[in-house]
Amino acid sequence: MDDYTIGVLSNIGVVSFVALSAYLLLLTGEISFGQQAFFAIGAYAAGIATALWGWPLAPALAWGAVSAGCAAVLVGLPTLRLHGLYFAIATLAFAEMVRILFELFRYQVEIDGEPVGPDGTEGFRNIRYIFDHNIDAVQFLLLIYALLAAALLGFVLLERSRTGVAFRMIGEDETLAGLQGISVARHKVLAAGIAGALAGVGGGLYAHLTTYVEPRIFDVMLGVHSLAYGLIGGLGTAFGPLLGVLIDIGLLESIRVLAGYRMIIFGGIVALLLIVRPRGLLDERTVHGIGDLWRRTRPRRRQPGPGP
Amino acid sequence: MRSARRAAAAFAMAAACAAGVAEAQVRAKADLHCEPAAEVLLYECTAALADSRTGEPLTSLAVAVGADMPSMAGAHSVRPVAATEGPAKGTYRFRLALEMHGDWALLINLSGATRDRVVKVLRFEDGRVGEATPTRR
Repeated sequence: MDDYTIGVLSNIGVVSFVALSAYLLLLTGEISFGQQAFFAIGAYAAGIATALWGWPLAPALAWGAVSAGCAAVLVGLPTLRLHGLYFAIATLAFAEMVRILFELFRYQVEIDGEPVGPDGTEGFRNIRYIFDHNIDAVQFLLLIYALLAAALLGFVLLERSRTGVAFRMIGEDETLAGLQGISVARHKVLAAGIAGALAGVGGGLYAHLTTYVEPRIFDVMLGVHSLAYGLIGGLGTAFGPLLGVLIDIGLLESIRVLAGYRMIIFGGIVALLLIVRPRGLLDERTVHGIGDLWRRTRPRRRQPGPGP
Repeated sequence: MRSARRAAAAFAMAAACAAGVAEAQVRAKADLHCEPAAEVLLYECTAALADSRTGEPLTSLAVAVGADMPSMAGAHSVRPVAATEGPAKGTYRFRLALEMHGDWALLINLSGATRDRVVKVLRFEDGRVGEATPTRR
């Protein structure tokens, strides 16, 4: 596998985290244009932990996830009463606030005679953990996909759990869910925290993958894309956003003749799908259909008959 | 008692692995110079690579350079191009074909005797290339 392919696959993996983060909030019926803020917080937090504090990678990624998750809960609490467009605008405003804060944030430590650390608009360079520890591109790719697989397993378990059902009920009709005895506020804050932590993991991985981050990377386009991946790929399953990422980065970016028109084609796909298939390619009906087909075609266990 | 000692040894090994004791790695630095070529959005660049600690030029490396726009990360990634060694010691030359003018982060990937990455952000305009000066938005 050449370096370019490894790079594309790594990007797909990392961006999938922020796509899953937006998807989780979509399940609860909320459209967030701000998940890139938690991606940024995770990136800076994990980068500072390894590059400045000398932490190992695993605790640094966990620190990034916790920082982003806590920030998401802090945003989730005051925005509980907001819905629809107002919630979307509030998350966008928060994300822009975070981006501008990182433009002002300076925290540098001298390492080997040169200053290392976030430097405002100049960004944060020399997040060198994978080079300092001889982690090659393939090993880091495997790490990204191992964590992504764990996240997907978490989603599979979540969707089968009472909490997952509660999320979808809240997404369908919040008032009705409340009347059924579901604590809407608690579940929404929980969803916000998990979504923030997921984006934070992705951000930490992104920072170590590229070794360089700056505030401009975490602007509104990343948030819009992360939302669009779920809308394209489908909201019936956690694999839906991954399909959206594959279509954008995997297909449009990698096919040379399409690469120059990628943004136009991507925008066109989003517009078309919102008209003909508002819940995306892998919507709930399709996922249930696939599940039914699987159950019908699976060989049945022979039931023990009545005794002689 | 023996199992406790084995467990302690295993824990110590795992802790050492987790701590990831860093070897003394070569850290590269790059001085980058790009000039517009005859065609629009095509640039001829030269990177002078050296050890950031000793200043020793880095030679005989496999150098590949990719580019991405910080303001639209992932939207305009340029496929990595292989650089060829220049006449001066530690210099590498490559040609960049960009999709649009603006600030680009060049990712200079080194492999071979030294494995490292240096990132340089430059502003590519029509007829000139200069330092990027990201401003607050």
